Amino acid sequence: MIRRKRTCWTAILMVCVLLISGCSIWPGQDDSASNKKVALTLWYWNRSIDDKLIARAKEKFPNIELTAQKIGGDFKAKLKTTLAARSGEPDIVALNDWIMELFPSEDRFYNLYDLGAGDIEDQYLPWKWKQGVTPSGQMIGFPMDTGPTALFYREDLFKEAGLPSDPEDVTRQINSWDAYAAAGEQLKEKFGGKVFLTDNIATVYNQVISQSAERYFRPDGSFIGMDSPIVGKSWDTAVAFKEKGLLANADGWTPGWNAAMNNGEIASFVGAVWMKQVLQEAAPDTSGKWRVARAPGGDGNNGGSFLSILKSSEHPQEAFELVRWLQSPENQLEQYQTLNLFPSAPGVFDDPAMKEKEPFFGGQATGPVFAESAQQVPDAFFGERYPSVHNIITRRLNDVAKQNADPQQVWTDTVHRVERELQR
Amino acid sequence: MWEHRALYVAISPFYILFAVFGLFPIGFSLYLAFHKWDGIGVMTYNGLNNFKYMLTDAEFWQAVGNTFMIWIYSTIPMLFFALIIAFLLHAPFVKFRTLFRVGYFLPNVTSIVAVAIIFGALFANNYGFLNYLLQSVGLPVVEWLNAPWGIKVAISSMVVWRWTGYNAVIYLAGLQSIPQTLYEAAKIDGASAIQSFFRITIPMLRPVILFTVITSTIGGMQLFTEPQVLVGNDGGAGAAGMTIVLYLYRESFINNYFGYGAAVGWGMFLIIALFSIVNWKLVQGKSS
Repeated sequence: MIRRKRTCWTAILMVCVLLISGCSIWPGQDDSASNKKVALTLWYWNRSIDDKLIARAKEKFPNIELTAQKIGGDFKAKLKTTLAARSGEPDIVALNDWIMELFPSEDRFYNLYDLGAGDIEDQYLPWKWKQGVTPSGQMIGFPMDTGPTALFYREDLFKEAGLPSDPEDVTRQINSWDAYAAAGEQLKEKFGGKVFLTDNIATVYNQVISQSAERYFRPDGSFIGMDSPIVGKSWDTAVAFKEKGLLANADGWTPGWNAAMNNGEIASFVGAVWMKQVLQEAAPDTSGKWRVARAPGGDGNNGGSFLSILKSSEHPQEAFELVRWLQSPENQLEQYQTLNLFPSAPGVFDDPAMKEKEPFFGGQATGPVFAESAQQVPDAFFGERYPSVHNIITRRLNDVAKQNADPQQVWTDTVHRVERELQR
Repeated sequence: MWEHRALYVAISPFYILFAVFGLFPIGFSLYLAFHKWDGIGVMTYNGLNNFKYMLTDAEFWQAVGNTFMIWIYSTIPMLFFALIIAFLLHAPFVKFRTLFRVGYFLPNVTSIVAVAIIFGALFANNYGFLNYLLQSVGLPVVEWLNAPWGIKVAISSMVVWRWTGYNAVIYLAGLQSIPQTLYEAAKIDGASAIQSFFRITIPMLRPVILFTVITSTIGGMQLFTEPQVLVGNDGGAGAAGMTIVLYLYRESFINNYFGYGAAVGWGMFLIIALFSIVNWKLVQGKSS
């Protein structure tokens, strides 16, 4: 009996040892071998940084032992869980355009100005740079790629409808949302309602508001109000597009959108530079028929990302040197060529690599169009509640577009809903 | 007790895991429901405000209504089909029974995301397969994913497709446990097939039916993946596909109101508990 009990204990002990041994039986092996190396971890998502560039970073910084982890799935949720748990945080992390949601937690990040970011500020687009700076003046996000917008349109359909079709002419003539809507009516008439001007109501609203210097909040955090002229203009423009029958009601990122693009049901849309890739993958049959002109109503930005250094990092200075190198103008230019990531450093906009002709766009060099746009993007303050307010509005606009809800009533409802949202 | 400590240690992993991943989250979510928390920063005490906001939030009540509608749209046909399939599988003239059983069970183990993508292609407004069929027989196109009822039908049909086989297998097990002698006795007494179905099969199956109703109630109230993949985090056009869990998910993980999300979780717990009791009374009530 005693023997059996002892065997039992031994077995349990063995299991425990096996479980723990993974981390503690042979400790410090790495430390002793290369005790001068600084270990840094980097979190990024697929196609946000070129893997070859990361490989080169390891050669460039022999004193850094870089562990670059490609985080799949819901990146934001994983980052937030890690931040909440306060353990297992990476040293450097990529953030998307939802960076403002993290502004209330600015104390969890290093102020990049303290690490020397101010020295290179003039190399980057000012409006992009400011998006990484919190209202209290701490810089938590270093500029990565950016998303200037332009008008993507079908040259053949525009020509057939008697509209200007050369990018220069389109930029000059279709220069306001009214002119754009008028072009849509001409298209509708010419093709008997089979070709729509643009994809959906949210695109129109998003693009009108992204061209303005004002959103929903002031830098002090106060709400500007739903009666602001910008919100009113964006809403009215979107509703007018619906009422004139210019929308195909095809939501982005759906098979229906891809099909509508590929079948020539949609003649144009205003979108960010990264839509080039999306469009090429969605509508391979229309290769050569698309062109890019400046967006009607002005230039704007959608998306773009940042690199941050978390406060938990023990080697912020080394991390900053790495970030600075990864996002140097030359390396941004290289990533434009490899991954289509549009640089936020205007110094490289004149490089021949940015002016290459693209067969999908009928041999047009679209880079200069987006480069022009990038330099004109208005400086805008978002505020950490921007996503929730913006989401409420676009959601309700969908009711107008798809369920023929009364725009006036939906507007009253939306105002009420936003007010309620801001009270909690 | 102390002399058996080795054995207690041996069975402890379950209890430790349960405490860490079961008990603690439940307790923490109750604590969280009375706080305001964005998921990263400091938690501040919020009293009953989360619950007040929930009870006065039109979107929450819409989500509750949607969930019930989808539950009704899906559970009734699902259990009906399951019973018929089980009855047929039980019939002596069916061959290759195991093959059919596996076949009917297969949808249950298929990746739900893949299923949602396929159903999305079936019900799509433009270029959808159903609309293609309607058009080819000269009927007008239905905007499935724009109409409030169309979204609910699409989601319900996914639930029916996925769970009918599962319930059929459970019903089949129930059918097989009914003693054959009862049917023989009924036959001698001159009962017809329909009479023996309603007088023997249904009453004997009552505990099994109760089980399937309760599990599909819980499953139906927790519906999340189907609408999320099919119509997105906002529940599609007019939020017609917004279910309670989808609402909870959006408020917590998209809008960062974790305290509020926890309160919604407890609201949902109450709804499921109440609804299960009502169902239990309804199904059980007849026999007593």
